[in-house]
Amino acid sequence: MNYEKLFNPTDEHQALREMVADFTRAEVEPQAAEFDAKGVLNVDLFRKLGELGLLGITIPEEGGGAGMDAVAAVIAHHELSKSDPGFCLAYLAHSMLFVNNFYWASNDEQRGRYLEKTISGEWIGGMGMTEPGAGTDVIGMTTTAVKDGDSYVLNGTKTYITNGCEGYVFLVYAKTGDRITAFIVDRDCPGFSTSHHIDKLGMRGSTMSELIFEDCRIPASNLLGKEGGGLTHMMRNLEIERLTLAAMSVGIADRCVEIMVRHGQERHTFGQPINQYGQIQRYIADGYAMTEAAKCLVYNVARDVGPDVHNRIGSDAAKLFAAPVGKMVADYAMQVMGGSGYCREYPVERLWRDAKLLEIGGGTLEAHQKNLTKDLARLHRI
Amino acid sequence: MKIGVCAKITPDADARIKVAADGQSIVLDGVKFGISDYDEYAIEEAIRTKEKHGGEIVSFTVGDASADKQLRSGALALGVDRSVLVTENPGDPLGIAKLLAAAIQKEGGFDVVFTGKSTIDQQNFQIGTMVAELLGWAHVTQVTALEFEGNQFKATRNMDAGIRQVVAGTLPAVISCEDGLNTVRYAKLPDIMKAKKKPLDSVGAGAIGGDAGAARSSVGNLAPPPARPAGRMIEGDAATAAKELVRLLRDEAKVL
Repeated sequence: MNYEKLFNPTDEHQALREMVADFTRAEVEPQAAEFDAKGVLNVDLFRKLGELGLLGITIPEEGGGAGMDAVAAVIAHHELSKSDPGFCLAYLAHSMLFVNNFYWASNDEQRGRYLEKTISGEWIGGMGMTEPGAGTDVIGMTTTAVKDGDSYVLNGTKTYITNGCEGYVFLVYAKTGDRITAFIVDRDCPGFSTSHHIDKLGMRGSTMSELIFEDCRIPASNLLGKEGGGLTHMMRNLEIERLTLAAMSVGIADRCVEIMVRHGQERHTFGQPINQYGQIQRYIADGYAMTEAAKCLVYNVARDVGPDVHNRIGSDAAKLFAAPVGKMVADYAMQVMGGSGYCREYPVERLWRDAKLLEIGGGTLEAHQKNLTKDLARLHRI
Repeated sequence: MKIGVCAKITPDADARIKVAADGQSIVLDGVKFGISDYDEYAIEEAIRTKEKHGGEIVSFTVGDASADKQLRSGALALGVDRSVLVTENPGDPLGIAKLLAAAIQKEGGFDVVFTGKSTIDQQNFQIGTMVAELLGWAHVTQVTALEFEGNQFKATRNMDAGIRQVVAGTLPAVISCEDGLNTVRYAKLPDIMKAKKKPLDSVGAGAIGGDAGAARSSVGNLAPPPARPAGRMIEGDAATAAKELVRLLRDEAKVL
């Protein structure tokens, strides 16, 4: 397998990459700084992702999607994050955390109600797992769901929920008894509300809020799968979530390498381009090598992730490796650019702020270390 | 309407072009290929025409067998229904035009055929005009606006000095498309997937009853533009430097 085939296994993958790259250059890049400064999601641009068929990227054709695989999802996140990781995070929360998870967990009746409008982008979706007192310790969640006739009544609060402000529909995990169950909650369910926008350091092209359930009544038909089956859905979806988050780090790193290579030639000090200095060469060369390593790992793992193929070790490793690479290469780029890198006029400081989230969201580095150690010990039990 | 479109596969507009050692061709290694920019406007106009008037779109390309990849992503994924790829390598533009005209005639029944005003690699501006002449159809070059009504068309083209000329005529016609005619759409992801199942016929000249004939012109040699001489820095304060700049522009560059 040659280098290019790893990243674009088929002609369709390559066509997808070119389409997303063209769209990103022409429409995503020009708005990124403005929406970062404002701290809001560009909803009109988000709906264009729906028109392009990107919101149902992994959904089979019979479900109204594009019928593509995890590599395709990685490509879309990789390319979008070269310009606007914040906007891409809204895309991820919608298309991976909601649409992909929902599709594989839902029945035909539920798909009939929610799928078309979320694949088109008319309804924005998100997912609620984290709580004020339960992040990595997901089993410790305290949101409850109690069956009452043909309804479930939910009580509790989810926090740090991407697309919370704009979202219409959410996939929500809650405890039924002592087991975790997945539900669909939409804005029309009485007792459901969202908090104010939670302001944040980076990823400001997407929003975050709490999801609040106060005797929130949802139809019993909004139960996903069966009671107590929530962990299955959660675990099945975590792999593609982590891979696409890792792909975002790769996109950030790729862009930062490109910026360093260009700036290293353009910027002169003491009568020569700064890429003639060993100190700068280290940032550019190390940054490139780390980026390529992260890219190869992420794409290699993506080949073995799908609705029926699992690679938890691989997806944990990919995000554990790629997230610090994104952060470090953004830092290298800022160092190479010096004062200009620190200024809002250039994209590096924004990418630098965005990169940090990927060491926290969708699994902290520590969660990946814990999972990997456990899974590796299980794999090589003595 | 039955709509045809001619599309050439060329190096990308932002590809770095180097002249090969033979002095007659360019280095193709590592160069990215795509549909020539003006032909993208032609494809877009074909799709818009179909959206408005219904019908079918067939694209025609003379080029290497490997062009099927770009035709799928750049034509079929956007809305072209079928592609015909004539895998020949004629020596001059007339040869290409003869093969395109033969393929269009072999298919038959077209109301209109779109081409780009030129291709971004050779920039000969010849294909649309030659194809129209070979077919004996009406022809308008560098079109920036277009309407159809029944078997009539009305095309707007830009002339020098910004004057707009409106040309009316009877179909069938060959329309060569200029920048500004439309905005090219992005391929939608589900359509990228569907494109791999659309018909793409790779044929030789014999299959379409075409013959490029002997080339009547050939490329002598290719040469990159001469390297620009290094700029000259003028020293001194603003007033002195300005005086010196005026002197140089007048006495050395002789542009004042």
